[in-house]
Amino acid sequence: MKAETFGVETRVPVQNDSTFWRKKAPCAVVLALMLASAPSGTAAENLKTESRMPFLHHIPLRDAEGRMISLPPLFDAQGKPQEAAANPYSTAQTCGKCHEYDIIGRGWHFNSAKEDIKPGRPGEPWILTDPVTRTQVPLSYRGWAGTFKPAEIGMSDFDFITTFARHLPGGGVGEPPKDKIDANDVRMRRFLVTGVMEVDCLICHDSSGHYDHDSRFRAMGMENIRWAPSIAAGLGTLGFAKSGKAAADQWRPPNPVPADPPLLKYDRARQGMENHTTFNVARQRLASSCYYCHTAESRTGDARWHSDGDVHIRAGMSCVDCHRNSLDHMVVRGYEGELGNRAVNAGMVEWRAKLIRRNDAAVSEADAKRLAEQQVKDEMGMVETLTCRGCHYGSESAKQATARMGGRLGAPAPVHKGLPPVHLEKLSCTACHSGPFPGAAAGAVHTSLAHKLGLPAPARTDNTPPVIVQPVFLRGQDGRIAPHRMVWPAYWGHLNQGKMTPLLPAEVSKLARAKFPMLTSADMMRDPYNSKPLTNQQISDVLGALSGEASKGQAVFVAAGKLYRLDNGKLISEEHAAAKPYAWPLAHDVRPAGQALGVRGCADCHSLDSPIYFGTVTPRGPVEASHVTAKPMWTLRGDNKTLASTFAFTFLFRPMLKCVCFSSALAILAVLLAFGLGALYTRLNNRKP
Amino acid sequence: MSTTQHTSRTPARNWLALATGRNLAYLMMLLGAAALAVTGLGWLLFGKAAITGWVLMLHVGSAPLFAVGLALVALTWAGRSGAGAGGLLFWLVLAGGWMVLLTGVVPMTPLCGTDGQRTLASLHRYSAIVLTAVVALHLLRLAAVNRRSPGA
Repeated sequence: MKAETFGVETRVPVQNDSTFWRKKAPCAVVLALMLASAPSGTAAENLKTESRMPFLHHIPLRDAEGRMISLPPLFDAQGKPQEAAANPYSTAQTCGKCHEYDIIGRGWHFNSAKEDIKPGRPGEPWILTDPVTRTQVPLSYRGWAGTFKPAEIGMSDFDFITTFARHLPGGGVGEPPKDKIDANDVRMRRFLVTGVMEVDCLICHDSSGHYDHDSRFRAMGMENIRWAPSIAAGLGTLGFAKSGKAAADQWRPPNPVPADPPLLKYDRARQGMENHTTFNVARQRLASSCYYCHTAESRTGDARWHSDGDVHIRAGMSCVDCHRNSLDHMVVRGYEGELGNRAVNAGMVEWRAKLIRRNDAAVSEADAKRLAEQQVKDEMGMVETLTCRGCHYGSESAKQATARMGGRLGAPAPVHKGLPPVHLEKLSCTACHSGPFPGAAAGAVHTSLAHKLGLPAPARTDNTPPVIVQPVFLRGQDGRIAPHRMVWPAYWGHLNQGKMTPLLPAEVSKLARAKFPMLTSADMMRDPYNSKPLTNQQISDVLGALSGEASKGQAVFVAAGKLYRLDNGKLISEEHAAAKPYAWPLAHDVRPAGQALGVRGCADCHSLDSPIYFGTVTPRGPVEASHVTAKPMWTLRGDNKTLASTFAFTFLFRPMLKCVCFSSALAILAVLLAFGLGALYTRLNNRKP
Repeated sequence: MSTTQHTSRTPARNWLALATGRNLAYLMMLLGAAALAVTGLGWLLFGKAAITGWVLMLHVGSAPLFAVGLALVALTWAGRSGAGAGGLLFWLVLAGGWMVLLTGVVPMTPLCGTDGQRTLASLHRYSAIVLTAVVALHLLRLAAVNRRSPGA
């Protein structure tokens, strides 16, 4: 990385004084030899502890240039106190010294924009939410149907990562190669000043509990991207230095990139002997680390202590016991059929072969490739054993005998007494075991990604946008009924010859800010998330203001499952494909067997008011309630209502049926026994002399 | 079944004579069995994996007819079943029917887990195939006997 590209300046104190060379020269020679023999790029050193005991990470920090960070002495030569200022640490260089950063960067949490990665089952999107324009657009780089790729709505990668930095772990689009950054792109070129968003390993791997997400969020908000990992890790602060945002605002090409970015003011207390810093990290992350991004809270309005949480976590497990990954960080998502979405690709083999050769230089390239291919394929078999079924029942596709047996980690083999096996074919395990126990209507749920959970904010309510509801029983991609979360997109846009182009909130504000209701401070106090719906008149006014350029197409508003447009000045609403809700399967919290759907009997599902068929789902969005109609779940699945209700009706007679059948069977058995025993008795008597 | 009484009656009187309790029971069982076979074994003919929806409802709805009919047949025919091939077929109908009935209704109770349910489903399927064949043979034998000795 060149200074003119990322603004890292050589004036930063580095450990290159004579003391260092005197003490460390022999080590440095070894290090140099190792580096010389290592593959190019950010290849890690081949040092392993091979122990189950976690390695104490008492390590030197390195900056983005790979230089060891050495804080200036407490006092200078004149005896004046010196500030512990230095460049922020770089995870790519510090962690990447021993861990294969490039391979890790291909992991599921970072690879959403990579072309050679299959999108897999639809997952939770990022939702661009704006309280003023009432925008809520589902975004994803993975191309899941129903979501937009940021570029499709005119959002740059830079804007994407700064908008969602609060929960983005870095890497991927946040870390564009320096030669790919276009200095003429007014948004993307900001990376040159703010620094790129490296994978922040500590977001997941910190086990000290001291990782400060809130500080990171605020640092990212000021576009202090390069410094955020150091600040969040508690290594130091930027103090009153100029923010990355201010610096990026001021920089204009062709002027050179600011060469003197602010230094981080380190906390000397975190620096141990020889400028080493101790990181309390763990390979097996705690559930609490995952919950920062993966909390789903449906107890809105209910006390937290009423909930039991996920039965697996309660049993002492951690998320990563099932959602495992190898060094490539391709975390197992844990759904059935995932195997088909994780086909072995050339990249995976290439990286594995590289690791094999790193560990054993004697292996030829061809052998390494063959071995790598086999290893990756074998691991694929393991993926299926980490689903509900795979873990509890075992999986035939696993290579390991124990994985084929099932019962991993002590998972009990399900008995399912009284449940006809056809249910296991038609329902996912989650249908009965996951999410809140279903009621008459799907209820609101808050998620970390959508509602910024984990960060302090005014209390969120059932109406806090984006409103997401659960459980909605839909058919998954495998055809099985499974509980889903659902959100309805809401945005202003242009419909041009069938092609929908949403507008970014900033564009809408620019064109129609005055048409939106002004919020008083009292309104903001009462409803900080502005959940008040728009009236027909307000929608009409905004549409009118957006209808300026006919070439862009017709101005439309999409909300709560409908598309709104002006027809000769009159507002009309209609069903439209673009307004369809986006849904993704939910899997947690898992309820224990004793609280599964169906544990009270068939009527849990086969009754005239069962949630799975007749529970209602009401489209939610920033429009008045008169515009929306609740739909029963059978409608959303395209099921036959008559069939469902008739089938449910027959269950009223099920006890009678059982009674008749058992009585008949008893009578027949009595006859069989009476005549059979009678015949036997006669035969035995006839044999007597 | 192996009744060998020889009587000379007009056809109308023959039908009236047939409308006895035991024959009605047999008819009831026969109708139930036919409905169950059509709805249940249809999967075999049409290559369906499992019966669902309306067909399943018809299948389950026909079960009481068969169950009551078979129980009545057991109670009214057993004493006169006699020995020989006809008798053997009769007892096979009863035993097979009992098996089909039990393996059909036990899965509706919380007595068996998934493995047990699968075993019961297999037993139900194969015993139903056997029962259908045995009932058909029994019916053919009855018809043959009736042709030889009308009004039997």
